[in-house]
Amino acid sequence: MMEVTYLGVIIKAILILAIISAVAGFGTYIERKILAFMQRRLGPMHVGPYGLLQIAADGIKLFTKEDFIPQNANKLIFMIAPIITAATAFIALSAVPVFPDFTIFGIFVPSVASDINIGILFVLGMMAAGLYGPLLAGMSQANKWGLIGAARTAAQFVSYEVVTGLSLLAPIMMVGSLSLIDFNHYNETHAWMVFTQPLAFVLFLIAGFAETNRTPFDLLEHEAEVVAGYATEYSGMRWGMFFIGEYANMITIAVLASIVFLGGYTDLGFIPGWLAIILKIAFMFFLMLWVRASWPHVRPDQFMWLAWKVLMPLAVINVVITGIVIMV
Amino acid sequence: MSLEQFKNRNVGVQHYRMLDLSHTPQTGWGQFKQVVRRTLSLELFVGLKVTLREMTKALFFGKMHTTKYPFEKLPVGPRYRAIHEMKRLLESGHYRCIGCGLCEKICPADAIRIETAYGEDQRKQVQEYTINFGRCIFCGYCAEVCPELAIVHGGRYETASEQRASFSLFDDMLTPIDRLKEQKEFPGYGSVSPDADKRIHKTPLAY
Amino acid sequence: MIPFAFYLFAVLITGLFLVAVLSRNVLYAMTSLAAGMVLISGLFFILGADFLGVVQLIVYVGAVMGLYAFAMMFFDVSREVRETRSNPWLVFLLGGGIALMLVVMFAAPIVGDSVKALYPPVAHTTNPQAVGLVLFTKYLLPFEVASVMLLVAMIAGIILAGRKMEISLSAMDEDILPETKENA
Ligand code: SF4
Ligand code: SF4
Repeated sequence: MMEVTYLGVIIKAILILAIISAVAGFGTYIERKILAFMQRRLGPMHVGPYGLLQIAADGIKLFTKEDFIPQNANKLIFMIAPIITAATAFIALSAVPVFPDFTIFGIFVPSVASDINIGILFVLGMMAAGLYGPLLAGMSQANKWGLIGAARTAAQFVSYEVVTGLSLLAPIMMVGSLSLIDFNHYNETHAWMVFTQPLAFVLFLIAGFAETNRTPFDLLEHEAEVVAGYATEYSGMRWGMFFIGEYANMITIAVLASIVFLGGYTDLGFIPGWLAIILKIAFMFFLMLWVRASWPHVRPDQFMWLAWKVLMPLAVINVVITGIVIMV
Repeated sequence: MSLEQFKNRNVGVQHYRMLDLSHTPQTGWGQFKQVVRRTLSLELFVGLKVTLREMTKALFFGKMHTTKYPFEKLPVGPRYRAIHEMKRLLESGHYRCIGCGLCEKICPADAIRIETAYGEDQRKQVQEYTINFGRCIFCGYCAEVCPELAIVHGGRYETASEQRASFSLFDDMLTPIDRLKEQKEFPGYGSVSPDADKRIHKTPLAY
Repeated sequence: MIPFAFYLFAVLITGLFLVAVLSRNVLYAMTSLAAGMVLISGLFFILGADFLGVVQLIVYVGAVMGLYAFAMMFFDVSREVRETRSNPWLVFLLGGGIALMLVVMFAAPIVGDSVKALYPPVAHTTNPQAVGLVLFTKYLLPFEVASVMLLVAMIAGIILAGRKMEISLSAMDEDILPETKENA
């Protein structure tokens, strides 16, 4: 183990910021393309080869749009709400190991920018704090649709945070550590957690969809019901920040699922670790888009019902069974 | 024929498939059983399968549906009635409009404006003929009333333009003289007879 | 580095809580409360108590989220709240007195220079393990009592909220609706 230097950490932080914001932008392109293919359309085609520069066009559009603040809105809160979403999404990523350790120009770059030994809790906590973005946005904009969106944020957060935590508790008990790096080491010697904890994996996926506000559960901005929910009054770059935050959160959930349940960045046969994790993250990302193309939204009451009457009991039972198995 | 039959517009054989909607369970136990049944029958994954199938079809079997619209256009049916066309006589190529002004009179939107004057042959001649497409409601009255089948609706459906005038002038709507051969005539009641050129006399202006 | 970070956090937290107390706008008050709670977790991180820091983060983020729900229901957030104080001096004296008492209570050991860890951390344990060791040995009884108390509160909440849950107003016939309203 080489020594972790400030320079290495800084390089890692810059890498995360650069790669993730690029990937988040690219994610919008991928999302449109895949949704289009699943509906047998072509998707964006005209800006650049195969529409690749569509991201740049969107960026220009977002940057040059009028930054609109409604008259009765609480201006300060309205303005900082999108920043909360984007910032917390990136802070959460700082504790996630994305690639194996590597050395560049003789500088040791650690796999994770800040290796706090409770990494997984930190990520969950930060993603939870990120939900203040939609909540504050919805409450400050003096718009009833926004208020409904904010109310739904509160409900969704309080319910699904429980499920995420409980579903991850069983794997945490098996590994005996909260550090994501330990999770990865665990995978080197044991079978993938999907096979030993399938129920936890499914629960985590469902709750992850809810936490990232992805389609079967995107009640916060479900356009058929509440116009755009918390984002109704937003325009331009402030709206874009919500978007970046959402995509960064998707990536976080994908990375978490890959590391905890799918073997992380351990070498997979002949595939080197860094490629393996990229493939896994890409698959998780694709799964989110796939589900979006396939399944309809759920009703809010069904959504709450699902959390408290199905997922939470299942998660608790899973934890108890895991505990018994570990004890015996 | 009773009213019931009259209202039944289902012509031909219908192929409706009735869904087997079992009624909502009333008891908690029934609901629980329904949830378990639905979860374990993996109905959700059928949806995923369908979208994946469509994607593979589109990507690898050339079943993409997209028409790249401004570059490719789908053909419109011959009976499509969009932007007006002014027709010419088939043989001489002279425009058919005799300047009777009926279309201007009947237009409910007051969109047509026609001006006529003496020609050199002392006959009525169309001086100016415009349709304001900002007002036209495409009711089709003008084509209906025209005694000479001079104004008809054509298949041009792109009503977006930088200037309103760019497709509302007489010359723009008139069949170009070099494409007279392509001017389509449809047989049937009220259509122009092949020797219309001989039979149509230009209206003398003195009335 | 660490003293600087501490003073930064301390000033920020105090300032935010002042806003929470003094602001007349619900949204400002709540938001600064939430931000202050999040920053308190920073203090834990400085002390190396990562686990407690994250617990602070998760618990208070959720708790203040609940407060927001109440704010949403009770106030129009775009307006200022008008308070009616019948006896401002009494409020000031009581509130200030309690605050002063708390400060004295917590600051007294520092003056006496007798801050000592009753349970020094066991060697070779990670943060969560250390918390667990203390929690399940010395503080087992308070821990269990607290959990029972929370359970009681939870059940009471469910009973209060769930009493009329079976009745669905939208599924009712129009003509019996008014009479149920009177009963309710
Ligand atoms: S279609 Fe109707 S509205 Fe349009 S010009 Fe003809 S008569 Fe007027
Ligand atoms: S009704 Fe026909 S013939 Fe008469 S003026 Fe109009 S277009 Fe010309």
